[in-house]
Amino acid sequence: MQRSTGNSGNSWVAQQRRAYFWGLAPAIAVLVLITLVPAIYLLITSLTPMSMVNPGSASDFSAPARNYIDAFEDRRFLNSVWLQAQLSFFTVTAQVALGLGLALLLNTRSAVMRAIRTAFLIPMVLPPIVVALIWKVLYTPDISPLHRTLAYFGLPVTSLITDSKTAMLAIAVADTWQWFPFTMLIILAALQMVPEEPLEAAKIDAATPWQTFWFIVFPFIRPAIVVAALFRLIDSIKAFPLIFVLTDGGPGSATQVTNYYAYIQAFSFSYWGYASAIATLLVAGIFVLSVLVSRLDRRNQRDE
Amino acid sequence: MADRAPSIQSSWWLRRRTLDCVGLVALVLVMFPFLWLLQMSVRPTQDIMGYELLFTPTFDHYRALWTGGFAKSFVNSLLTSTFSTVLALLIGTPAAYSLSRWRFRAHSQIALWILATRMAPPIAFTIPFFLAYSWLGLLDTVFGLVLIYLTFNIALVIWMMQTYFDSVPKALEEAACIDGCGVWKTFLQITLPLTAPGLAATAVLCFIFSWNDFFYALILTRTAAQTAPVAIVNFIQFEGWEWGKIAAGGTLVMLPVIVFTLLVRNYLVQGLTSGGVKD
Repeated sequence: MQRSTGNSGNSWVAQQRRAYFWGLAPAIAVLVLITLVPAIYLLITSLTPMSMVNPGSASDFSAPARNYIDAFEDRRFLNSVWLQAQLSFFTVTAQVALGLGLALLLNTRSAVMRAIRTAFLIPMVLPPIVVALIWKVLYTPDISPLHRTLAYFGLPVTSLITDSKTAMLAIAVADTWQWFPFTMLIILAALQMVPEEPLEAAKIDAATPWQTFWFIVFPFIRPAIVVAALFRLIDSIKAFPLIFVLTDGGPGSATQVTNYYAYIQAFSFSYWGYASAIATLLVAGIFVLSVLVSRLDRRNQRDE
Repeated sequence: MADRAPSIQSSWWLRRRTLDCVGLVALVLVMFPFLWLLQMSVRPTQDIMGYELLFTPTFDHYRALWTGGFAKSFVNSLLTSTFSTVLALLIGTPAAYSLSRWRFRAHSQIALWILATRMAPPIAFTIPFFLAYSWLGLLDTVFGLVLIYLTFNIALVIWMMQTYFDSVPKALEEAACIDGCGVWKTFLQITLPLTAPGLAATAVLCFIFSWNDFFYALILTRTAAQTAPVAIVNFIQFEGWEWGKIAAGGTLVMLPVIVFTLLVRNYLVQGLTSGGVKD
């Protein structure tokens, strides 16, 4: 019956389109169910004062902006954003610097470098909980080889994670160790795509290594560095296991970043409405950063 | 040194070797924290704080863990990660193929949505999932965890497989199927076999990401469906910081990941940076 209505070429295309549609449909359906529906539910919950102690609060929309107004008056929340900014700034900077340095090192043509390249990936693929335990060992003076070595040389140091001044630094160092392979990988991939000719030309012109790097290599890898940094920036907002195991947000609230604050509000105090509002603000912040990433990504591709 | 050429040659050689040494030193520094945990897991309890390299290794910590109920959480981890990987591949692979071959109007919006699910903070999913699961009775079930792991695994499968499918030329499919056989027959007979290594790498990464998860499992499981990473933390809460057992537990949890990483190291780069550098 279909054949009689359209010509056969058209129906072949339509048939193909239908086939593609049915390939895509299940994934879209599942993604709607497990990402879009929860996102909408989160948004709705954030407009209510929902909490464990207050039955019926889940459908109370009398003051929809309450949680958001509260958040901007909540010193602990504002402080958590500031702590997050510090953590993100430190870790992203350190990871880009370390990643760039190691990528340049590993990019030199040598059998040794090729052999050890994979080993540098290990911190990134380790289960985050194991990374957290490793650093718990290193930061616990009784058992830490670092503390014991320092003590042996007459330089005993108190634990970094029990001092509110250094706890954030300790988290940042551990996070840098865990994630520098990510920036390293992306930069290494970019380095391997730097064309040979300008490098040859620089060699003939007797350019110093520094000049070669700054004027030839760096412009090529700069987009990759920016993308890697933005990805790390977004992911740094989700840091959880390290803080959970090393400091539990403490001492006091010295390492209570926004993500962790939302976790405590939701799963320690059962303030679902308020926690949802904070989570919604986090999603909004991350969304802005993601749009930035996709813009840059598109521009990179156009440039190539 | 009188002759110019050998001097350049030797300074070049020296620089190379210096760089190699710097690389090796960096390797030792980076590996040290990880290796320290490994050695702690086989060090006898009374000597757990020792740092002499010569000691008699013992498997007591592993034995104690295994008889103390850790095995069950290990099995839970295996089940959850395997099911989530299989489901994500079944749902995500056809979708990736459709997205690769079919240009339609909402294409870029869907791509952005998939990127957004990879970016979204887990806390945003856990709150609604926790509330819904306590109502549906899915808390502390393997199925509940499998479902929430799909939030990141489907996005990963679509993202990775799409680039693999893009790299298979359309002409190849057309040539192999001159009689106009169906889209999915072509897919199964021509395209999928060509991208099998990519599929394997994707599966391994899905498995690793599910296996590594701590946050979702911490919140959505209690005892029955508890995974290995959460079991270690619970164990610390009940028995205190027994370093030997903690190190052994950590080693057991990271073992599969290390093995898989070495198996697919050549494909790993693309997956780990997926979304960062496409093509």
